[in-house]
Amino acid sequence: MTTTLKKMSALVLASAVTFSMLSSQALANGAIGDHVNNLHAHIGEYTEEVHWLESKFGSVVDAYEAKDKSLKTDALIEYWEEVDFHSAIETQYVPIYASIWQGIYGVKVAIDEGKPVADVRVEQEKLNHALWQALGAVKLASQYQKKGLVNKVQTTEKEPTTGPEVIDDIKTRLDRVVAKYAEQLHEVATTLVHDTYLQRFEGVEGDLIAKNAALVEDLEKDFNVTLPQAISKDTGVDSVRKVVESMQAKLDRARALLVEVEQSRKDVF
Amino acid sequence: MQRRTFLQGLAAAGALSGLPFSFAHAMTQTGSVSVESLPKLEGDLTLYLGRGEGGLYENVLKAIEKRNPKLNLKIRRGGSAALANTIVAETKAGVKRADLFWAVDTGSIGMVTDAGAAKPLPDDLTAQLREDFQYPSWSPVTGRVRTLPYNTERVKPEQIPESVMALADSDLKIGWAPAYSSFQSFVTAMRILEGDKATKSWLKGINKHSKKYAGELGVVMGVERGEVDIGFANHYYTLRLKSGKPNANVALAYSKSDAGCLVNASGIVALSDGDLPVNFIRYLLSHEVQSYLAREAYEIPLVQGVEQPQGLADLSTLSPPEMDLRKLADLRPTLNLMREVGVL
Repeated sequence: MTTTLKKMSALVLASAVTFSMLSSQALANGAIGDHVNNLHAHIGEYTEEVHWLESKFGSVVDAYEAKDKSLKTDALIEYWEEVDFHSAIETQYVPIYASIWQGIYGVKVAIDEGKPVADVRVEQEKLNHALWQALGAVKLASQYQKKGLVNKVQTTEKEPTTGPEVIDDIKTRLDRVVAKYAEQLHEVATTLVHDTYLQRFEGVEGDLIAKNAALVEDLEKDFNVTLPQAISKDTGVDSVRKVVESMQAKLDRARALLVEVEQSRKDVF
Repeated sequence: MQRRTFLQGLAAAGALSGLPFSFAHAMTQTGSVSVESLPKLEGDLTLYLGRGEGGLYENVLKAIEKRNPKLNLKIRRGGSAALANTIVAETKAGVKRADLFWAVDTGSIGMVTDAGAAKPLPDDLTAQLREDFQYPSWSPVTGRVRTLPYNTERVKPEQIPESVMALADSDLKIGWAPAYSSFQSFVTAMRILEGDKATKSWLKGINKHSKKYAGELGVVMGVERGEVDIGFANHYYTLRLKSGKPNANVALAYSKSDAGCLVNASGIVALSDGDLPVNFIRYLLSHEVQSYLAREAYEIPLVQGVEQPQGLADLSTLSPPEMDLRKLADLRPTLNLMREVGVL
């Protein structure tokens, strides 16, 4: 990667991390420790954990290469669920969290299906890349957190109260859909899509219809057909992510329209 | 019905003697009351708010707070059914955290009133509401009606049967959204009114000449494009579409006295005694709030004397079926039936 490209990636990541953190936080499955609200003090620990994970994931692939018959690929998931870094990235930047799960299952499925070692190593490389990218995102988040630029991770979900806030929340929830799908929790992912539609999108679609009915119809189809089908047909994490990214682009257009609506709204009294 | 003339006796007059003249005067009127004549709200109030029309309910609450700086309003937000369950559980445990519950659907209200958690409302408040929407322990806020949007280029109004059941045997091409929650409530109403056998037969009949859409806006747009002749949808989709595209080829028809013209309502329940929760409800029934929700959300105002959203038939000309709307909360038998028929 060229220096310019690296800088651009960092910039994109920085803005994305900021956006993710400023949005309302949905929570990880399982307990979240206080460390997620004091990331800076735990960067050393997270770095150690990433090294440890890289080594443990590597040992699983080594055992596969050595044709170790006692190898259990579920260990990959157990290692990942053991570390504090897990909730650090899940609460700060869900898209990369999803990539880690995608990487873990990439290695697991390749081994379970008896793929050549070279193929498994390719998957392992992708997983390692996601881990380090995640550590970068958490480090960046720790800087914002230290400067007081982000809210504390909440232990209960915060309800958005304006149209634009609802759209931000929907986008974050869709990131979580990809993450849950990547975790192989397909039913959870589908329920999240359904709930997001009923509990969030339905509340703002009314204002959008007069502005751009075709956009609303398109998103209705995405929520009720395209995304649930991508999940149920098990088209893969990249395919589900593509649907979500396309929806998020449409939601950005919807957000701009809702800002216009809010500005032109007459007072109640 | 509870509608009655207020201030019929000296006792009532005495009860009002301590109130500001304008409010006391307003309470003697049936129909909408201006917010100008309502008493100021002062004190602590906790509202459980079911998710509704995006930011519009929030705007109403902010406006009430702004107008009443001594009101300390705490809001807990969530799904209407989930909040109703919480209130029922809190009531059973003898814990009271909410003073008011504003829900988007009547089913959730029913759960709370059935649990005995609702406090009775004064007659003068319920008398402001349209006659068919007056209840002793909860107040409807706004309504929505099931409609039959039809393509004005392809269908003449006289081709549309008055009975929604007859549509199953018609030769009209129909748009529907079976997976959509409002449609499922409508089918639930049909089950209650017509029975499972007739509903099953209706679903099968419609399925033969229908096109499925993901949601009810999709149905209305499909009707407008001429992909289908007629569809099933809540009223506001068509009105909103026409507000952005006045020459859209779609108009609304209504069936008569059956599930096809069911009116469902959002509503509010007082969970604590005292004037403050009741007076808060008066703000929601004020002319200004009712007009705002009709204008901005195309919801149907249920207080007498407030203008309806443009493009909707007057509520008095509609003939919604007589049924206990609280029964709509149980969707399970409906979903089972729809799956059995193969439309879900």
